[in-house]
Amino acid sequence: MSATVIQAPGGDAPGGQLQARQRILTLVMVWAILLSAPLWLPLVGGYTSLGTRILVLGLAAMALNFLVGFTGMVSFGHAAYFGLGVYGCGLILRYVTASTPLGLLAGLVLGGVAGTVIGALIARRRGIYFAMVTIAFQEIFYFIAYKWNGLTGGFDGLRGFTRANLHLGFATLDIIKNDVVFYYFVLFIFALVVAVMGLILLSPFGRTLLAIRENERRARFLGINIERHIWLAFTLSSIFIAIAGGLYALLNNFADPSSLYTDLSGELVIMCVLGGIRVFWGPLLGAAVYVVLQDYISSHTVNWLFFVGGVFVIVVLFFPRGLLGMLRRRRDA
Amino acid sequence: MLQLILFNLFNGLIIGAFYVLVSLGLSMILNLSNVINFAHGNFLALGGYLAYALIPFIGFWPSLLVAPLATALIGYVIEVTMISRLYGRDPIYSLLLTFGLAFMLQDACRYIWGVNGLPLSVPNNISQPLSQTYFFLNAYRLFLVGIVVVSVLGLFAFLRYSRMGMRIRAGILDLDTVSALGINVRMLRSLNFAFGIFLAGLAGVLAGGQIGLNPNMGDTLLLPSFVAIIVGGMGSLVGTLLGGLTIGVAAALTAVVWPAGSDVVVYIIMAVVLLVRPRGFLGEEGMQ
Amino acid sequence: MSDSPMLEVSNVTKTFGSLVAVREVSLTVARGELRAIIGPNGAGKTTFFNLISGFFPPTKGRIIFDGQDVTNGPVPGRVKRGMARTFQITEVFPELPVRENVRIAVEVAAGYALRPRLSATERAGVNRAIDELLQRTRITEKADRLVGELAHGDQRIAEIAMALALKPRLLLLDEPTAGMGEQETFEIAGLIRRLHREENYSIVLVEHDMRLVFHLADRITVLAEGALLADGTPADIAANPDVQAAYLGHAA
Repeated sequence: MSATVIQAPGGDAPGGQLQARQRILTLVMVWAILLSAPLWLPLVGGYTSLGTRILVLGLAAMALNFLVGFTGMVSFGHAAYFGLGVYGCGLILRYVTASTPLGLLAGLVLGGVAGTVIGALIARRRGIYFAMVTIAFQEIFYFIAYKWNGLTGGFDGLRGFTRANLHLGFATLDIIKNDVVFYYFVLFIFALVVAVMGLILLSPFGRTLLAIRENERRARFLGINIERHIWLAFTLSSIFIAIAGGLYALLNNFADPSSLYTDLSGELVIMCVLGGIRVFWGPLLGAAVYVVLQDYISSHTVNWLFFVGGVFVIVVLFFPRGLLGMLRRRRDA
Repeated sequence: MLQLILFNLFNGLIIGAFYVLVSLGLSMILNLSNVINFAHGNFLALGGYLAYALIPFIGFWPSLLVAPLATALIGYVIEVTMISRLYGRDPIYSLLLTFGLAFMLQDACRYIWGVNGLPLSVPNNISQPLSQTYFFLNAYRLFLVGIVVVSVLGLFAFLRYSRMGMRIRAGILDLDTVSALGINVRMLRSLNFAFGIFLAGLAGVLAGGQIGLNPNMGDTLLLPSFVAIIVGGMGSLVGTLLGGLTIGVAAALTAVVWPAGSDVVVYIIMAVVLLVRPRGFLGEEGMQ
Repeated sequence: MSDSPMLEVSNVTKTFGSLVAVREVSLTVARGELRAIIGPNGAGKTTFFNLISGFFPPTKGRIIFDGQDVTNGPVPGRVKRGMARTFQITEVFPELPVRENVRIAVEVAAGYALRPRLSATERAGVNRAIDELLQRTRITEKADRLVGELAHGDQRIAEIAMALALKPRLLLLDEPTAGMGEQETFEIAGLIRRLHREENYSIVLVEHDMRLVFHLADRITVLAEGALLADGTPADIAANPDVQAAYLGHAA
């Protein structure tokens, strides 16, 4: 992956070379942290599967932010496509074949197809009304997963499957028992998806999405077919998040309806905002902070939900730009 | 069989009545403040719990009014101190705020009144069945439907004939003009929010008498109420009313032939409406 | 086809409910002409402008652009045929630098809007087009600043540069100097004149600043209360008693 590829298009401070250098610096830092995480996580009281969890939810949040931060359309129902990824992967592993790549592929297809169909239905809506319709559609998938007991295990969730080891021809990767190997497998998929996302955002198509976010009227009078571009962005974002969903199924060896529920959608949106929606890596940082914070709060009080809700309120009222957004602001000032 | 159909229809009417109360409040807030109130279902539960706390002191009937009023007051304070600060900003912020508030209210109710369900006692003389054959008919349920009808008529009369109601309607159509006429839009939105919450609180007390109280009691009503608004057409309260009744009755009728499908049908209706008539029954062009 | 006028609007009417915003207005713009549309406030100028640019369709009437009927056509189709517009309230991408604003317009015009990547040649072509546009509109020095941070006049120039990137044959400018200071008005007037006189664009503009209108326009169309009041050369219009009455009537 080329180093200059992944950056935050738009919102970046101008300044040519300085900007490019900062971008490379950011990339080196991010990848150094991610690649070395299994080494230092135990030293700071973490554990490898916590890192994997952050990676998966971070990917989901970044996929959502492709739509929220870079197209300017707020979906509050993206858990639907995440959850379809979870179930698509789980169902293949449970009923069809013990193949990790096929499971991921099935999740991608299931979430992607659903995102394509629903994106076409809602691409004409804007702002709060767009959010509202995404919420309502999410509920359909939740109901299907919840009610179709025979296939999905209903409320108790789908059990009885495990991720399968990867056979590469020359070697076998033990991702079942070895948490560290599994972490690097997830990181590999993460890197692929994030690279594709970054490349798209730097492409002419990606720029039209920024254009729609910045000023829909101007974009329309440049001749951009707004509805088609929003539809495409929605579809791509649901494919990306469905891949994250597939990884989530592999991580937990379990699929349950809460992975398609509104609460998860809200959590993914808060991860984006917490890290900074205008910054490419923001949602990953947001996911890390949110997961650790939630872990901490829920191990200290049974009323953790109250405090998690409090986090939402405090972030919205006092830190709407998010952590990286504030950092960038200070740097620019 | 007739008994079964009547039973389900009547249940549909009751559920529809709750959808109407919840979705009208949500719709008022959405139309004037451009905010989706995720915490609406939790305000509903709060209304029920407040009635539970008040009944030993003032009895059922006064609580039916006082508990929703107290809920509305809490809603008013939350609107003024938090939600109003986000008007004019990207909708993502108000969505997240009410989402967080929903978590907080839900957990607060759980902390104060416990995880387990609580009964909300209804006066004895209205809780007995009226007939053996039609066991599902009791005075309380009839009374419940009556209260909802009266509240809805009252709401529409208020919006039509009172000065404030007219301002709210004008504000929904064109907030800038209303503001230019020197009307205090901020105050109007706060009071409108409180009205919406009052309806939620009222629904909470009524639902408590019907199915008892629990911290999540509003959740099952919240999402179908979103659907009622979408189906009825965003921006139109009459549309919301029709939407709420439609899905309530459709769900009940489906339950006669396919009990498991009564929840699903709500979303099928939504998908069909979005395909065939994207702006809903009475939605304004462009309000989408 | 090249004999047909650039723009031919015949008898367009636009009603909103019971309000008639534009009533039976016709107008013909020749190739290379600069036409100004003036009128007192509420004369329906902006509505008329929105009809031409396809913001909404007329209730009645026909709009022929470059020999083709575009009356009910969508915006992207008009843009493709060579119609570009600016807005009374400047519409740009505020959080992006000037160069990126223009880049988006250039890429869309080149048909790259759905492309996931460009070849090196294509990218070089885009960059060349951007540099050229920035020079023509004389905003090269500010190319790397965020548009949202520029002065009002420079934002407007960036907006015009984006419109030019679409390689239009007809430029629609809605009050290009609205809210500008003396110096900015002067600069924009100079730019419009260069585009018209040196680069031969057909231009329709709505404008409040009468000095500018009489200085620049080949012909002037006057609207009042949604209807056509007068149509002629600047000299005709200046001498027209109806026009004077309409303006004085509203000024009083």
